[in-house]
Amino acid sequence: MQARDLTRPAIAFVVIVGLVVGASAVAPLVLGGGTPEVTNLAQQQTDADAVRVAAAEESGEITMDSDAESKTILIDQAHGNDLSDEKLSTLVNTLVENGHEVRVVTQDQARGEAWNESLRSADAFLVANPSQPYTPSQLAGVRAFNDAGGRVLLLSDPPSSGGSVISLLGVAVSQPSSGGPSLNSAFGVSAQSGYLFNMQEYETNFQSVYATPGSGSLSEGVDRAVFHDAAAVSTADGQTALSTTEGTKLSTTRRADTYAVAVQSGDVAMVGDTDFLAPTNAYVASNEAFIGNLADFLVSGQKTGNAPAPPSSGSPTGPTAPTRPTAV
Amino acid sequence: MSSNSSATSAKAIFVVAVVAAVLVSAVLAPVAHDYATSAQSDGTVSVITVSGTISSTTVDGIAEDLRNARTNESVKAVVLKVDSGGGAVAPSERLYLEVLRTAEEMPVVASVQGVGASGAYYGMLPADEIYVLSSSQVGSVGVIGTGGTTPLPDSVIRTGPDKAQPTTDQRRRTIESLKRQFVGRVMEHRGETITLSREEVAYAKTYLGPEAVQNGYADDIGALPTAIDRAAEMAGMDNYDVARQEPPSSLGLILLASDTDNGTMIYKRSDRTNGLAPVTQPLMVDEIPYYDPEVSANASA
Repeated sequence: MQARDLTRPAIAFVVIVGLVVGASAVAPLVLGGGTPEVTNLAQQQTDADAVRVAAAEESGEITMDSDAESKTILIDQAHGNDLSDEKLSTLVNTLVENGHEVRVVTQDQARGEAWNESLRSADAFLVANPSQPYTPSQLAGVRAFNDAGGRVLLLSDPPSSGGSVISLLGVAVSQPSSGGPSLNSAFGVSAQSGYLFNMQEYETNFQSVYATPGSGSLSEGVDRAVFHDAAAVSTADGQTALSTTEGTKLSTTRRADTYAVAVQSGDVAMVGDTDFLAPTNAYVASNEAFIGNLADFLVSGQKTGNAPAPPSSGSPTGPTAPTRPTAV
Repeated sequence: MSSNSSATSAKAIFVVAVVAAVLVSAVLAPVAHDYATSAQSDGTVSVITVSGTISSTTVDGIAEDLRNARTNESVKAVVLKVDSGGGAVAPSERLYLEVLRTAEEMPVVASVQGVGASGAYYGMLPADEIYVLSSSQVGSVGVIGTGGTTPLPDSVIRTGPDKAQPTTDQRRRTIESLKRQFVGRVMEHRGETITLSREEVAYAKTYLGPEAVQNGYADDIGALPTAIDRAAEMAGMDNYDVARQEPPSSLGLILLASDTDNGTMIYKRSDRTNGLAPVTQPLMVDEIPYYDPEVSANASA
């Protein structure tokens, strides 16, 4: 076999491969590549108007109508109270601007006789989300204070989850971390477990429910208030100051109703929320009017006498040992 | 002597030719067989797997598979094999748009295995039909995310008050807006099938297979082969091939990928959470965002 016998097949091989590969490379350039038509599906599928969420309007000022002379408002921070300084600042600022004094009772000032002494010098008492039990003597002191016309304002957020209730002398104190109804008591007011929500009419989030005015001084000038993460409260013989709009449901029962979120029973008021006090929420809707009303409520009481009464001279000599908190 | 050598070389060439023929046949025979088979087939149903957390990386792979299905002329229908509880918002919407684009060109049938919830449900909405097992769970139409109020460390210098620190209100508005989109698309795509109201959909419940069929979240109970059959039927194919597209990475890689999506994360001690909370956190359409209190700073994959 000669070398030239292989030349022809080799040439044929090169030519064929060259033609085939070359033709496939040139074909798309000549024929043109297929460019699929692109439609803007994202735009077609988006209804921008329907999904745009407007910011809540924040306007107004927190003002007080009361022309009461300087009063002293005592704030309980002795029982593991869950109320941030930020939220407290709105109410405290309003009270101070209008010439009233705000005192905070700490754990040290709540021991033994110091508790009643603090109450004695106060005109109003504010308790928010206590998580530690009150001693019988502390409760007796608050009752005597209230019986003498001292105003008591209870604020209660929904507990984060269901749990037990610590009950003392008919007064149930919830633990926000473990849940349960909040201050439910001889004061004639109570809070239900679970949070309120409304899936139809709400401010930005389903947990931000609207409340409309009922009766009493707490509802004066309030058109519509907004409560975020609120608890339903109730009173036996008092007034419902604010109640949620129709279709509001309680997380635990899912029952649609108009739930009270602020009630007043004589010198006691209860609000099932603290978020409305936060500076970011204080001016939303008519919240500022409601905060002003609460400030007025605190300073408008007519406390008489020197309640709770100081220990009589006939009491046992020597310092009384602080009562140990006990859960029943 | 020369005739001897010539005969030997002719034998050698013969042997080489036979070996070459065998080799070439070995290569060409399967091709010929496939060709003959596909000549009988009307086309291919591409089964594309959507599993694990919906992240931008997993959607990259799925989008590629869907694009291949659209551009490959032999693929006449797509079946989404879904087993995912959701993921981040943007990848879920991307998946939705890719499936929508595909569904405009060919029948798409979804087959839910264990879970097809939240972002995964979002992604399969444009499918012509959704099949579930009686143990499948679908739904959870909603969005979750952190409140966004955790303050940044003082050492971080920003150009504006909302830079990397949206207020709770802004965050609520964002989440509400995303919810409206999601719910709106459920109502649009499930059309007359769905018996639930917009409000009931917004509750974000997860439904078990039989209930999902009843309320219109799904069309029927059926396993993957049923979905494949149905897709082929909708594409008008009697004889068809099935091509399975599996996810490109293992579970470990998916987790790693979803961490990468979050990027660098700044943590700050927060009173509200009694620990360290991430300052920036992606919005999710599935489980509670990943949160590791042990990580002190710059947790990135």
